[in-house]
Amino acid sequence: MRTSGGSELATKFSSWFGSFTLDKEGEVTNSKLFEKDPEILAQRVLELQESGQDAPAIIPDLRQLALDCGFVDLDEDYDILLRDVCIRAAKSRISGTDTDDVRIVHAVEALDDIDKNVNELSERLLEWYGMYFPELELTGEPLARFVMAFGSRANVPEDHQLFDKASKSMGSEISFADEELLRAFASNLCGLYDTRRQIESYIVTGMGSLAPNLTDIAGGLLGARLISIAGSLEKLAAFPSSTVQVIGANRALFKHLRSNTPSPKHGIIFNNVIIKNAPWWQRGKLARAFAAKISLAARTDFYSGEKDPSIKEQLEKKLTAIRKANPNPPKKKSKPKGKGRKKRGGKR
Amino acid sequence: MSVEEISDGIFEIDQDDRKSLATRNLMPGISVYGERLVEVDDEEYRLWDPKRSKLGAMALKNFEIPITYDSTVLYLGAASGTTVSHVSDILRDGLVYAVEFSPRTMRDLIQLCDQRPNIIPILADANKPHSYAHVVEKADVIFQDVAQPNQAEIAAINSKYFLEEHGHLMLSIKSRSIDTTASPKKIFKDEVRKLESGFDVEFEVLQRKELGPFHEDHLGLVARMFVDDE
Repeated sequence: MRTSGGSELATKFSSWFGSFTLDKEGEVTNSKLFEKDPEILAQRVLELQESGQDAPAIIPDLRQLALDCGFVDLDEDYDILLRDVCIRAAKSRISGTDTDDVRIVHAVEALDDIDKNVNELSERLLEWYGMYFPELELTGEPLARFVMAFGSRANVPEDHQLFDKASKSMGSEISFADEELLRAFASNLCGLYDTRRQIESYIVTGMGSLAPNLTDIAGGLLGARLISIAGSLEKLAAFPSSTVQVIGANRALFKHLRSNTPSPKHGIIFNNVIIKNAPWWQRGKLARAFAAKISLAARTDFYSGEKDPSIKEQLEKKLTAIRKANPNPPKKKSKPKGKGRKKRGGKR
Repeated sequence: MSVEEISDGIFEIDQDDRKSLATRNLMPGISVYGERLVEVDDEEYRLWDPKRSKLGAMALKNFEIPITYDSTVLYLGAASGTTVSHVSDILRDGLVYAVEFSPRTMRDLIQLCDQRPNIIPILADANKPHSYAHVVEKADVIFQDVAQPNQAEIAAINSKYFLEEHGHLMLSIKSRSIDTTASPKKIFKDEVRKLESGFDVEFEVLQRKELGPFHEDHLGLVARMFVDDE
């Protein structure tokens, strides 16, 4: 084992407890020990980890080195100190990973969880309360608010617009225990609707400061969803725009890659009105332009952080041009589209 | 109830003809991840579920485990510390350096380190051994369980930096993180060949066996670093 090139030059090497100069045999010629304070040493460990120093070809035996130069007196002391330092270093790196985009990602995921649960719970309330007041044509949040407010339909006041229906209902009589239970259930559901609104406004305001350009282009919620799926703003900024275009269309994309089904034109960016409200023959083109600007916006946000209104202007210009150039649906090709697709799908 | 030590620090407990793997609890009274604690002859053991641990599966599959009471182990891919806690049990007079990349799982691992004196946590990427070369000393055994497509390469560069001469490498290769479509058998063959001659450190493979039914599409492997006498 030799150092490459057999150079006469001494190599420098920093360990967690000091920095050393080694000659080509790997012998220590010069050493400088760090202060023996766990907190300071932990910071050193992190700095060295970040700096990514090139380790020499022959790494000295760290433990022996620490004993030789008198940094520690006993084997056990080495273990105890190193463990303390490493735990501190790891802890401080973990708290350092808690950045704004992580908070946004959690909020987006919480939003999706709430949506899922709210759906189930409001379905349940509809079925359950339907026993007692089947004529009530409310669903979702209005239903939950109604049940929370009145409980039994007997409590609907005369001047309420539902009074007629309530008094002539064919629903069965509700017992006191059931009424209490349903009201509590409905009030919890209303609480979820409130929390959902809070989270949504948290995301929109948070995105405004975290990623102003992305928010400008895609809107707060869609921007947050994109960050959530990508994992972080940094990762989203690193994605090519063709990936951004189909984020969220995984099934269609992999089906396309495996067999010869047509490629997906859009993933979750479909949720923006630009694409959602466009006629079908423009959607692919619009999605491509839209995704390109989303990428650009995410990169500007991550690397400069300053708002650049020209991205939005360019996007508008591009969209108008696309709309103008394709005002009418294209003529159908000789093979009817639907049929061709089916055929190709069947080949798998 | 009888206890048999099948390898240093690894025990097989026979309870009413039901055998289970276990290690002697370094921190009596504390169960790390909800595993059962069993007392035999005034010693407390922690049962070790081979389905949750590649190392445990390897012990049950009659691998010769090169870890001894006083080994220094470099554990790559420590995750939340399920297996690391058992390694810590085995190493009564040893030390384990536990490398994990994900801050989320490191959170759990650190709580384990706070309890146990012989685990040193390192939040770093196993792909970049130079980023922790200033902390880790030479190890007698490198145990690696990372779900990365370049598993063999990671093992090789870490061995080059940190493995003692004649030190052992224990590897769990997950075929699905290399290629989901190719056949596991072929992938394992390629990976073993890479280890034997693909890098600037070479290994002599001592034992290899698939880890089914505990872990599907995983190969367990024990190798010794081949030292070139110049």
